[in-house]
Amino acid sequence: MASREIVRYKSPARSAFSILVILFLIAFFVWTVLPLAIMLISSFKDLLDAFKLPEEGDWGGVGVMFDFEPTGAHYVELFTEKHFGLYMRNSLIASLGSAVVSVFLGSMAAYALSRAEFRGKKDLLFWIISTRMAPVVAVMVPLYVIFRSSGLVGTLPGLILAYTTFNLPFAIWILKGFFDNVPYAIEEAAQCDGANRWQALRMIMPLVAPGVAAFIVLCVLFGWNDFLFASIIGSGGAKTLPVATAELVQPVKIQWGSIMAAGVITTVPMMFLGFLIRRYMVTGLTMGAVRE
Amino acid sequence: MTSVTIRDVWKYYGKTMAVKDLNIEIEDNEFLCLLGPSGCGKSSTLRMLAGLEFISSGEVFFGDLKVNDIPPRDRDIAMVFENYALYPHKTVFENMANPLKLQKMNKTDIEERVVWAAQMLEIEELLQRKPVELSGGQKQRTAIGRAIVREPKVFLFDEPIAHLDAKLRSHMRGELKHLQRRLETTTVYVTHDQLEGMTMADRIAVMHEGVLQQLGTPSEIYNHPINEFVAGFVGEPPMNFLDCRIERSGDAVALVYENMNLALTDAQSRILEEKGAATEVRLGIRPDDLTIAVGENHGMEFSAKIFVTEPLGGDMLIEAELGRDRMTIKRKISELGVPGDPCGIALNIEKLHVFNRETGEAFF
Repeated sequence: MASREIVRYKSPARSAFSILVILFLIAFFVWTVLPLAIMLISSFKDLLDAFKLPEEGDWGGVGVMFDFEPTGAHYVELFTEKHFGLYMRNSLIASLGSAVVSVFLGSMAAYALSRAEFRGKKDLLFWIISTRMAPVVAVMVPLYVIFRSSGLVGTLPGLILAYTTFNLPFAIWILKGFFDNVPYAIEEAAQCDGANRWQALRMIMPLVAPGVAAFIVLCVLFGWNDFLFASIIGSGGAKTLPVATAELVQPVKIQWGSIMAAGVITTVPMMFLGFLIRRYMVTGLTMGAVRE
Repeated sequence: MTSVTIRDVWKYYGKTMAVKDLNIEIEDNEFLCLLGPSGCGKSSTLRMLAGLEFISSGEVFFGDLKVNDIPPRDRDIAMVFENYALYPHKTVFENMANPLKLQKMNKTDIEERVVWAAQMLEIEELLQRKPVELSGGQKQRTAIGRAIVREPKVFLFDEPIAHLDAKLRSHMRGELKHLQRRLETTTVYVTHDQLEGMTMADRIAVMHEGVLQQLGTPSEIYNHPINEFVAGFVGEPPMNFLDCRIERSGDAVALVYENMNLALTDAQSRILEEKGAATEVRLGIRPDDLTIAVGENHGMEFSAKIFVTEPLGGDMLIEAELGRDRMTIKRKISELGVPGDPCGIALNIEKLHVFNRETGEAFF
C-alpha cells in the first residue's frame, strides 16, 4: 500500500482555503499549547507572582506574566515533603508492569489467533474486543467489589491487574494485526530449513518488534495518565501521580505552585516518551523479502 | 537424493477435495514437474511432500521411509516458495546460512557452502544486502541458494519463477535445469506454465481438479496425450479441436466436418473400430501440423477464411474461420494472406488425434 503524491491543482478558492486552514492551525496550536505553557511557567512562580495578571483588555501588559523570579521551591517541596518520588515510582511500576504483562500474554494470544484456524474463532475475536467496548466507569463498582474481597485494593499488583484487564484485549487486537502482516510462508520456510515451531516464531519476532515496542509505549501511556483506576483501586498503598496531584487541591489556601509543578512532573515524562515513539512509528517495517 | 513414492494420497480441506487418489513414483535424481491450472491440487501435493499440510489419507515415502507423521524439519527437504519467503531482517548471506546454522554447522563450513552456492547462482556481490534491496530475480536466486546450500533428499519448487519478467523466466528455465543436473537431487517442480514443464522436466504429471491426468515424458505428453485436457493444456499455441462425425463406407473410415471430408489411415480406422467409437467424436490437431494455402482453388480437405494473422518473427500464426470454429495454424512466414481471404487447410494425418466427445479420452 504505497501512498502517493495527491495531484491538486491550484485555484483561488483553494488558496483562500489554505489560508483559513493555516489560521485554524495557529489557533488550535495556541489553544493546545497554552495550558501547558501556563502550567510550566506557573510552576516556577512564587505564589504571589502567580496571580499577577494584566488588566482586562490590556493586551500590551502580557509581559507582566513573564516578570517573575523563577524558583524551584515547589519542586523541592514535592519531592521532599510530599513523597512525590514514591508516587512517581508507583506510576512507573503500575504502567510498565501492566504493559509488560499485557504484551507478553497478548502477543502469545495474538500469534495463535493469527495463525491457527479453529471453530468459534470469529466469536472469540469479537468477544475479546467487545470487552473494550464497555465504558470503564460502568464496570468500576463490580470491579472494586471483586478487588476488595481479593485484598487487591490499594496494592500495586492490584493496580497492574486492573490496567491489564483493559490493556490486554487491545494488545491482542493490535498485535494480531502485526502478526497478520508477517506472511506465514516465512515461518514455513524456517520449518523447511530445519526449525521447529518455536524457533520459527523466534525468527519472526524481529519483524513484529517495532509494533510490540510501540504498543508497550501505548500501554505505559494509558497506565501513567489514568486517574479512574488509580483513584478507586489504587487508593492508599498504590497512589500514582495523577491521584497525588489531585489531592494537592485543598479546600483552603490552594497551593497553585505545587499543583502546577506536580502537573509538570506528571506530563513531562510522557511527552519525552512521545518524542521517542515518533521516530519508531516513522520507521516502516521492511517487508521487501516477500513479494507483495 | 532419494526416490519419492506417493501412494493413494487424498487431500481434503474441510469438505473440499483438493487431491484425489494420487499415485506417483518419482525416481532418484528425477526432475518431476507437477503441471496443471490453478486449483488442480499440485501445490497441495507439494506441500504434503514438504510436510506443511497433513496428508488426509494415503502414504508418502522417501525411499523406504514413511514420512506422513514427520515434521518438515526432519524430512530433509529444501523448498523454494513462490513468493521467496526470505527473512526480511537478515542479509542474503544470513538467509542462505540459516538452514546450516539450524543444523549447527560450524562457521567456517557455513561460509564455505554459502559462498559456493552464491557463486553458482552469481549473487556473491549481494551477500551483505537485505532482501528489500534486491530485484525479483536476485531474491529468487537467494531463495534457491537457501535451498541448495544443504544437500537435501528432495528439492521442492513451488512456481519459483512465476513472478519474474518473461526474459528472466526464459533464462532461469535453462539455469534451473542445469542446476538440477549438476546437483543430482530428486526435484519436484510445481508450475502452471506448460513451457516450463516441457523444457525442464524428465517427466511431467499433469493434474486437473485434483486428479492425475497423465504421467509421462514431455514427448509422450505432447505427442500422445491420453485425453482432451492434456492435449489442450500442453503445447503453445494450444491444439485445435473440431467436433466431427465418423462416416464409414465399407472398410474406409472418414471424419466429416460440415461438408468437408477427411479420410483416415487404416491403422486409425482400426483403432476406432476396436474401441467402439461413437459417431460423434472430436478431432484434435496441433497448429504446427497444419498447412495453409491462400486462395480459392487450394485443393485441400478444409475450406476456410482467414480471420487474423499474427507474425511471431520467424513464424506466423494464422487464425482461420472454419464453419463455426476457428483453427490456428503455425507456419514459417511465407503466405501472404489478409483477413477475409479464402484459404484451404490441410493436416498431417499422422499427427491427428481423435477424442471421445463425451469422456474426453483419446482414441489416438
